[in-house]
Formats: sequence, structure tokens, C-alpha cells
Amino acid sequence: MHPTSTRSELRSPVIEADKGKDGEGREAPHADERAGAAQDLTDAHAPQATAAVAVASPKLLDHEQASPLLELENLYHRWRRSTQPVLDGVSLTLHEGESVWIGGRNGAGKTTLLRLAAGIFLPQRGTIRMGTLTPRSSGAYRRQIGFLSAGDRGLYARLRVSGQLDFWARLCYIPPSERANVVARGLEQFGLEALAGQRVDRLSMGQRQRIRLAMAFMHEPAAVMLDEPRNSLDDDGYRLLSEQVELVRARGATVLWCSPRGEDRVLGSDRGFTLEDGRLEQAS
Amino acid sequence: MRPWFEAMVGIMRRDAVTFLSYRAQIVSQFLAPLFSITLFYYISHVLVRRTFNTPGGYFGFVVVGLAIIQILTITLGVLPMSARQELISGNIERFLVSAHGPLSCLFGTMLFPMLNAVVIGALTLAMAGLIFGLPVAATAPLAIPVAVLGTVAFMPFACLLVAGVMMFKQVASASAFLVAAITLVGGLYFPVVLLPAEIRWMSQVQPFTPAADMMRNLLVGTPLGEPAWVDLAKLAGFAIVLLPLGALLMRAAIRHGQRIGTIVEY
Repeated sequence: MHPTSTRSELRSPVIEADKGKDGEGREAPHADERAGAAQDLTDAHAPQATAAVAVASPKLLDHEQASPLLELENLYHRWRRSTQPVLDGVSLTLHEGESVWIGGRNGAGKTTLLRLAAGIFLPQRGTIRMGTLTPRSSGAYRRQIGFLSAGDRGLYARLRVSGQLDFWARLCYIPPSERANVVARGLEQFGLEALAGQRVDRLSMGQRQRIRLAMAFMHEPAAVMLDEPRNSLDDDGYRLLSEQVELVRARGATVLWCSPRGEDRVLGSDRGFTLEDGRLEQAS
Repeated sequence: MRPWFEAMVGIMRRDAVTFLSYRAQIVSQFLAPLFSITLFYYISHVLVRRTFNTPGGYFGFVVVGLAIIQILTITLGVLPMSARQELISGNIERFLVSAHGPLSCLFGTMLFPMLNAVVIGALTLAMAGLIFGLPVAATAPLAIPVAVLGTVAFMPFACLLVAGVMMFKQVASASAFLVAAITLVGGLYFPVVLLPAEIRWMSQVQPFTPAADMMRNLLVGTPLGEPAWVDLAKLAGFAIVLLPLGALLMRAAIRHGQRIGTIVEY
């Protein structure tokens, strides 16, 4: 699979059906063809496929032979009024079907790295590429990103759970004909069906974390970035998260996630790194 | 374009659901203009009626000003606050990774408050007519497109303040200053001819004066200071020239915050 065609092939059927202009009026690139792997993707994340079945028999790709999906090269970021950069020459290539963990002490720059990879921050130096797409180039890059921020923010208190997911589906340009299914799938993926009619501000922290996770996964992005995803999750929530990570990998997308503690790595990661003094080091 | 509109509808729906969920706020929002027009109804009785060449005298003059002030306050006060709320709630991160994009999301955030402002403005006029007997001109329906054009012409000022929120995080004092300054030079409470000549020119270089002139003419029959086409051209000019500039400024502010990493700060 050629690196520049990776994105097209990984784009989900939902997103594919709605390609066109992005939120700022630019044309999104069109997919030319789908490789055989695309069928695996469709099978792996079809709405009717249950997570349990997929996890019991995941069709994981061999990431060592897989094509690069997201390439971070020589990233540099320095905060104003700081003499030392928080990231200094960080390079990392994420392959199809791969899950990568980033660890490090508090303030090491894990969140900054995730925000750069997601396009929330723009690189002061260095490049970020997903095939031919970059965070600067167009909204087409954003369509391929699923992002979970650390903490419990990013929700609207007065919306109901289903309303929150519907709102996010609209911002992701999910076509109206698919939106109800996508929302239902998001509810199911994180065990939120019984809470669909509940207002967000009446939920526990763990339940809110599930909604936030559902929003990171529900539009089936090519790259999912998770910042401390285990926050407030109970065992069942953690199991559902693990299942979704495996499903993402099975459809050839990639997961980049961070947490300060090494024990969180049981979530599943092919490679692990720690950030120290602005540089990535292979985790032991 | 359909996904873009669907997303905009989603943002408006979010804001409508949030607005309607605070029931006390709904009641107070309807009561506030009632108290304002009651106050000015009695103030108008102490003013000489012929000073204002309007069938309703000063009351007719000021009620239209009050309706415009509703729009002005929401445009320049509520919108930057809404943008700041997106920062505080962490939703700006979500906007930045959405297909809809941060700029469209922020513009979407402006829509419901704008619509709400126009409704409250219309309600102010309706209460003045129904409760206090203000004679409304037969040309009143024509005020609707003028109000829409005026609102679009006001938006660049909101863009400026929202860009300020993205850059500096807090613009409440700038917003309050701008509202007070425009209220003064826009002729919303009194005719601009009363202003000293040294500052009267300011009433001609912003869209609020022509909007107020047109609205008064159409709603309560106040004679126009300038031909209608001049006022309309001014409003359209402000909208056409300043709105793209406002959008560019917002985009530049967002990009700047993304580069230096302050976009998620609040």
C-alpha cells in the first residue's frame, strides 16, 4: 500500500459517502480506489458486528509490514516564556493497525505531542503527514482524527447523551441518512444505551468519560488519539475501550495514546515510548 | 454544502436546547425589555413631543433604539462570552478536530444568539405597540430584511471580539466599552444631531446609525436623515467589506493560538 494512498483506503464508508468540501470550503481529496484491506475494514466496523465477536477474533494487521499511516517528523514545540522546548526533534511513524503508547512524567509533553498529532496545535518546526494530508492543508486531515482530551471537558452539560453524540456526528459531516445508526453504534460501543436520554450534567465522571470516548471513535477515524483514556473508567468501561482499540487496529487504523503510568499499557500497544527532556525514548 | 448546513443546524439546535433548559432565563429575557420600555414610556412623558418628528414622539424613537440595543448587546456582549465558554468548556479542542472546523463552528455559535436577539427585538416592538399603544407604520414588515442586513453588518464587530477572545481570552471590558460607545454615537437613545460636531462624524462610520435610521423609518415613520438607498448601501458595504475581514481575523487568531499553543488556554 502506497503511503499517499493510505488515507483513501482507510477512510470509512461513512466518511467516504460524504466527501466533498471541508468546514472551510476546500475540496477534500477523493478516493480513487480501495485496496483489498478496505474490505477488511468494512467487515470489521460494520454496525451489526458486535464488539465481543471482533475482539474474540481480531483481524489485526501485521504492523511491522504495514504502511506508514501517520508520520511525525522532527517536531519542536516551545512554550512562550520557557527557555527549554517541551518537544525537541520528536519523530514517530504510526503504521496501519498499530497502537502506540507514550508515557512520561507530568509535564513531559505527552499532551502537547497528541495535540500536535491531532492538529489542535500547529508545529513550530517539523512536519506531520497522513499520506498527502497535513494539519495545515485542509479539513480533510481533521476528518481522519479521533481525539480524546485528558480530563472531563468537551461536553455540553444540558444536552442529553444521544444529543451530544448527534451533535458531534453533525460536526463530523456524517450524512443524515447514516447519523442515527452512527449515534446508535456510539451508544452501543461504550454501553451508553440506557443513558441515551439522560442529561450529561447528571452523569457520573466515568459515564461522561464513556461519552467522550464514543465521540473519539464513532466517526471511524484513521487515527485515534487518546489522552489518558482510562480516567474514571470502571472495569466494564475499560473492557469496552480495549475492544474499541482492537477494532480500530483491526480495520487498519492507528491508535496513539498516552498516560503517565506504564501499567496502563495493558490497554494494548505494539510499541511504547517515554518522553523525557523533549525527546522520545523507547520504553523498556 | 449540505453537511455544512447540517452542522450549522446542529450547533443552533445545541444552543436552543441549552437556552430552553434554563427556564428562569427565558422568563427574565422576556421581562427585561418590558421593564425597559415601561421605563422609557414614562421618561418620554417628560420630553417635549415635537422634538421628535415621530408619531410616537420620543417613545417611538427610543423603542426602536432599545430593540437595536438588544441586538447590539447580544452581538458584542453575548457572542464573545459564548466563544469564551467554548474555551472554558474545552469544546474548542473538539472544534479543532472536527470536519466542520473551528471557524465554521464559531460562526455557528453566533447563529442562535443572533436569532434570539432579533426575536427579542421584535418582541420589544410588539410589547410597545400592544401594551403602550405605539403606532406602528404599515411599512413595518420591510424592517425584517433591514434587520437581517443590519445584523450581518454588525457581525464583523463580533468577529473582532471573538478573535480577541481567541488571542487574549477575556474581552469583557472591550465589549462593554464598544457597546457603550456605539450606543452613544449610533443615535440609539437620542438623535445624533445633538452630538458635538467633533464626534458626530463617528455616527457615519459604523453601521448602527444607518440601521437605526432605516428601522425607525420603517417601523414608526421617523423621516430618514439620508435617502434610503444611501443607508442601505452603507449597511451592505459594511457587511460585504468587513465580514470577510472579520472572518480572516478570526482565522488568523485561531492559527496564531494553534502555533504558540495558547488556543486551548482560557
